[in-house]
Amino acid sequence: MPSVASSATRLFNGFFEWFGSLGIFSWQVLRAAVTPPYEWRELIRQLDEVGSKSLPLVAMAGAAIGVIISLEARYSLSRFGAKSMFPATLVYSVIQVMGPVITGLVVSGRVGAGMGAELASMKVTEQIDAIEASAINPYRLLAATRILACILMLPLLTLATDACALLTGWFAQALVEPLSFHQFIESGFSGATFNAFLPQTFKTTVYGLIIGLIACFQGMRTRGGAAGVGRAATNSVVLASLFLILADVVLVKFILVFFP
Amino acid sequence: MSRVARLGAFIVATLAVLAAGVFIIGSKEYLFSSTYRLRAQFENVAGLANGADVQVGGVHSGTVTGIELPKKPGNKVTVIMELARSTHAIIKQDSVASIETEGMLGNQYVAISFGSAGQADVRDGEIIQSVPPLELGELLAKTNAILDSSQQAVLNTTLATAHLNSISAKIDSGQGTVGALVNDKQLYDNLEQTTTTLHDTMQQAQIGVTDFQENMEALKHNFFLSGYFKKRGYEDSSDLAANRVAELPQALPEKTFTYAARQLFDGRDSARMKDQKTLNEAGDFLAQTQFGVAVVVVSTGMDGDSQKDLVLTEARAMVIREYLVENFGFDDSQLKTLGMGKQAGANLEADWGSIQILIYPAGTEVPAGKPAPAVTSSTTGADRPVQVTAVATQKP
Repeated sequence: MPSVASSATRLFNGFFEWFGSLGIFSWQVLRAAVTPPYEWRELIRQLDEVGSKSLPLVAMAGAAIGVIISLEARYSLSRFGAKSMFPATLVYSVIQVMGPVITGLVVSGRVGAGMGAELASMKVTEQIDAIEASAINPYRLLAATRILACILMLPLLTLATDACALLTGWFAQALVEPLSFHQFIESGFSGATFNAFLPQTFKTTVYGLIIGLIACFQGMRTRGGAAGVGRAATNSVVLASLFLILADVVLVKFILVFFP
Repeated sequence: MSRVARLGAFIVATLAVLAAGVFIIGSKEYLFSSTYRLRAQFENVAGLANGADVQVGGVHSGTVTGIELPKKPGNKVTVIMELARSTHAIIKQDSVASIETEGMLGNQYVAISFGSAGQADVRDGEIIQSVPPLELGELLAKTNAILDSSQQAVLNTTLATAHLNSISAKIDSGQGTVGALVNDKQLYDNLEQTTTTLHDTMQQAQIGVTDFQENMEALKHNFFLSGYFKKRGYEDSSDLAANRVAELPQALPEKTFTYAARQLFDGRDSARMKDQKTLNEAGDFLAQTQFGVAVVVVSTGMDGDSQKDLVLTEARAMVIREYLVENFGFDDSQLKTLGMGKQAGANLEADWGSIQILIYPAGTEVPAGKPAPAVTSSTTGADRPVQVTAVATQKP
């Protein structure tokens, strides 16, 4: 019994310790980020890493999602005799839900794992200590640039996903029955408002923040050699995806309340 | 491609997507074109949502930008609409907003009707008229009522058909009068026989009447009765109406001959002439002149029975006319008679009434014949001593 109690206590301690460390880490990164000098060269490298290099992946994911929704929606809608609602169904489901979430998950997999592993190996090979010794703030150079790159690039990647999904969705529909792209867009966006679309797209900055923060945090607190690197990579992907989905619950409610 | 260029291309491409999206949605929200705002009030907006279409003449022309619940009970829900400036020319003060549904279960939208040409323009933010939305439940309730009444109508029709059926069955089986008529040949034969008999009877009656007329004619010339007719001055009362006119012609007479009845006739109540030669002057004039129409006008004084005097004057006029026609040569269809009955004023009682022969120039229209003897009154004027303002009364 004492062993169970003590292990439970340890688990709780570990849980709160993790959140506490994350809070301290966030504060240090924020403080480092807002004070000069700014690491522009590293930021551009990270923007390219997160943004342009993720584009093929999210584009393909988006294309696949477009086809999937197109096929599913056509089947369900024709059962209810509401086939004319098809463009609107596709546009709304892609832009409001599928686009942001799929982009977030794909980017968290690719970027989160990459960042976690990179920073963890730097940590275990004591490169981070070396940077710190050469009077450069590793939070500013390594963490702030990566996190900012994620925050900036996620909405743009989401737009790319949306565009690809709508194109392939329309294409999949047009193969079955004739539907001009213009008609598709006209009908799909009828009754569309900015409140329905812009908040949904730009909430992915929060996804970017979560992905970057957790990946950097997990990477920079790694201990214990090669095994630690692997663990850090896995943890950053899993935790980033989990928190992303959880954050979405709050974000959706927030958007519905403030952007009706 | 350098890293920076690649990043730049990525950013430009994705921002282009954003811009396209913004413009597509913006065109739906009319953010980039000139708009104006209208409001309409409804008891119930039937599920109309923010961002719903506003259609003018079935064309998407605006968006619902707000739906406000009333501040207190009894007020209405206000729908705020943002409309494209291009619709300002067709939406007028008398335009009406209504909430419609696309199909049976589709989206709600606001439809605004065209205004009339003469009406004033709407101002920005103005409240226009509205009609309450037709809700499906309400529609079903109305349909239900219609179905109920049509069911009743069908029941009534069925009942009426049953009655008709029963009636035709009765006719067919020979019940009642109509049934007997339709079914009984003997009744029809009897009816025909009766009609034939009736026809024969009528023919015989006609022959009887003709015989009776001849008998009467013979009786008038009988020794015992001929005195009465001689004293009266004429034989057949039906001749009185033959040349009678309703009134004098409108024109002025060319010549007038006036006589007192005492000069010409036997007695106060007689139409038998005693001194026909007095009339020769008038007869000569008629024979020598081309006249249009001449009228013998006779009247009496105010005493005596009106009806009898009317007949007397007509009889005297007829007798004078007969004398003139028989003794002087002229077209007898141009000589007419007019019995005036009693006339106040002009006639002296001692004269037993007066006789005038009015002769009108050629071209004077012949007055219409008089359908029934009439009692007329009033006399005026010097050259038209007897003026008639035909007031007809029915003979009893």
